[in-house]
Amino acid sequence: MNHGPALLPPAFMPSEYGPEPRPHVAMLPSMTSVSVTELFPSFDAPITQGDAADLDIVRATTRAALADVDMSKITADSSVNILASEHGFGLMGGLPYAEMVKTIREVVVERTGCRDVRLRLAIYRGFQEADEVRDHFGFDEAFDGKVKGLGPFDRGVEVDTAIGPMYLVQRAFDADFFIHAYYDDPREMYFNRLLYKSFKSFCMSYARFETRSVYHSLFGNRSGSIIPRALFDSAYVQARYTFSSVLRTSPAGVIGVDATDDLYAIDRRITAGHLATYGRMQRLFAEIGDCVAVWDGGRWGYYLHAGGIIFGVLLTNHHDSFDLDVPVVAGFLQEPGNSVNFTRNKSLRGIVVNQAWVGAGIPYVTMPFSSPMYIVGDDQAQLWREDPTNPLLIDRATVVDDVAQGIEMACTRGGTDRVIVFDGSYGHITCNESMADVLRERAPAVDREVEQVLLPKWLAQRGLA
Amino acid sequence: MASIRFYAELDADPCTGCKLCDLVCPSGAITMVDRKAVIDDPLCIGCGRCVDRCPEDIMWMTERAEPLVKTVRPDEVDEAEVTALLDRAGLDAAISVCVCTLTPASEIAAAIVKGASNLDEVSEMTGMRSGCGIYCVAPALRLLQAAGADVSTPKGHRWYPCTIALWDVSDAARAAYPDAFIDEDRLVFDPTQRYGPLPAFTPPARPDDPEAHRRARIDALTTGRKDAS
Repeated sequence: MNHGPALLPPAFMPSEYGPEPRPHVAMLPSMTSVSVTELFPSFDAPITQGDAADLDIVRATTRAALADVDMSKITADSSVNILASEHGFGLMGGLPYAEMVKTIREVVVERTGCRDVRLRLAIYRGFQEADEVRDHFGFDEAFDGKVKGLGPFDRGVEVDTAIGPMYLVQRAFDADFFIHAYYDDPREMYFNRLLYKSFKSFCMSYARFETRSVYHSLFGNRSGSIIPRALFDSAYVQARYTFSSVLRTSPAGVIGVDATDDLYAIDRRITAGHLATYGRMQRLFAEIGDCVAVWDGGRWGYYLHAGGIIFGVLLTNHHDSFDLDVPVVAGFLQEPGNSVNFTRNKSLRGIVVNQAWVGAGIPYVTMPFSSPMYIVGDDQAQLWREDPTNPLLIDRATVVDDVAQGIEMACTRGGTDRVIVFDGSYGHITCNESMADVLRERAPAVDREVEQVLLPKWLAQRGLA
Repeated sequence: MASIRFYAELDADPCTGCKLCDLVCPSGAITMVDRKAVIDDPLCIGCGRCVDRCPEDIMWMTERAEPLVKTVRPDEVDEAEVTALLDRAGLDAAISVCVCTLTPASEIAAAIVKGASNLDEVSEMTGMRSGCGIYCVAPALRLLQAAGADVSTPKGHRWYPCTIALWDVSDAARAAYPDAFIDEDRLVFDPTQRYGPLPAFTPPARPDDPEAHRRARIDALTTGRKDAS
């Protein structure tokens, strides 16, 4: 089959948590792009794949979605926090999500007369990250300087929930009301299993680290779904909650905005849509077999996308993430006697790090045991050497001069000629020709299996059939 | 076991005494003396959080001449005490409490048996929390709590006493969230009911009408609170 040159991924935000931006792997002559709608024709056409030229469409779509939302709780004298979460700014370079957030503010001001609309940027571990996001996306100007970051180490507030006291971050709720400004990237599908994923921010982004720890470490990945819901349903949160606005995606790109005060309704729509789209992609990724993966973006490698699927899916999960009859796919809480928290995809023959943020809470410490790592450049290697979240990783990795050398070494050592690139792309997968052939060959059978067998089961298990 | 390669240093002169570094230090290595941060090197587990947090940008990480090994070996303490503590906390010995350092629950329990009485001391003895500091905290607090330690919030907000586990979900909560796989997961993670018997309550079948289900859930929650009070 003829293969054209690769499409470039979306531009990303430079950060002190990663190396200086360098040329993308997509620029190598050996790379090509496979369209996800070619693989799965049932996917709807997106409104954007992150191009700055499409922001008017995002703005108009957000306004349309908000048109019928009840904002009657908010008055001219109210204070309102718009709660945004960090990973939204890693979606397609972050511009679509940032535009939705800014548009929410505009509409709230227009509709309610409220002038005290603040932005609260929930970040993970890097305390400078919120400032970087604020500056890169121009939030100070959009919010009249009313922008603050918040993280898991900030002062907490005790919240009485149905399962007991839990702790949220006080700064997220330091206004009369809040708006849940979310994105529906399913990300770690092997953890969240697409069980009430739309609520997850309430036990992660907006929560203290103890609450996050309970969610990850003291419940299974099915039963953990009770925690964000218990927090959302709590009297504390409900007294402050106004509505949700969610940037909707599929592996093809941004497909719309869903906004209403009924987060449960949004979640049902998202879950049904995701099982049909991301479900197909997840099953296709499980079919890839031996391959080398390349990280090439401006976020943590674990969360870089290829065709809308994060690297973590390829690394961790080659099983069916969505079959709820399977109790554990991956997770911190394991069945007794099994100390392996993250099952590794043994077919992943190597990982080449062209550019990505260092650890920051995504523990890869055992990854090089099963998948040799090749880190491009001494400057980037030094970042990994100093990364406390991945002690000793650098000792097990190989530092290479350039990405082409890293790919060649990984393929030779791994005995594979298939390369897939996680560069933040939606709508297509950046890969080499050998990988493109595999994806095209396997997609039709995956499409049929999901449509006829798996999707009906997944939906029924969630009461969505 | 954690092998700590770096430690934090600072230029104390410009330090404003804001205490932000102290608040995020996981091992109690930072104290404030005369409104200046002071770092106790042997206690520093090299997480780098203080350097990232410092608003004055006057802190940095320095590589140790030799890695500092933090561990509590099983043979340092009474194994039976460790096992009993793990059972009381409802934690399997083998699970990695800290996924950055791969510190197992058994080592955290051993540190507590050896004398650690709060989260800072557990972190300092084992190197736990030297990485992301996010996933490990609740199991460690749960073990401390099971050992009778006071896990209430110390001055500032270094930690909060959040230790809820799958085994603790009440009947009222299970009734409110019948699709949360509480019973199913308890059978998976505790097949012998080592951490407590399953209550007789059987969750109702999942509803056909999600809206009605949601309303019923909220009603059940309200009832649960009234019952609790």
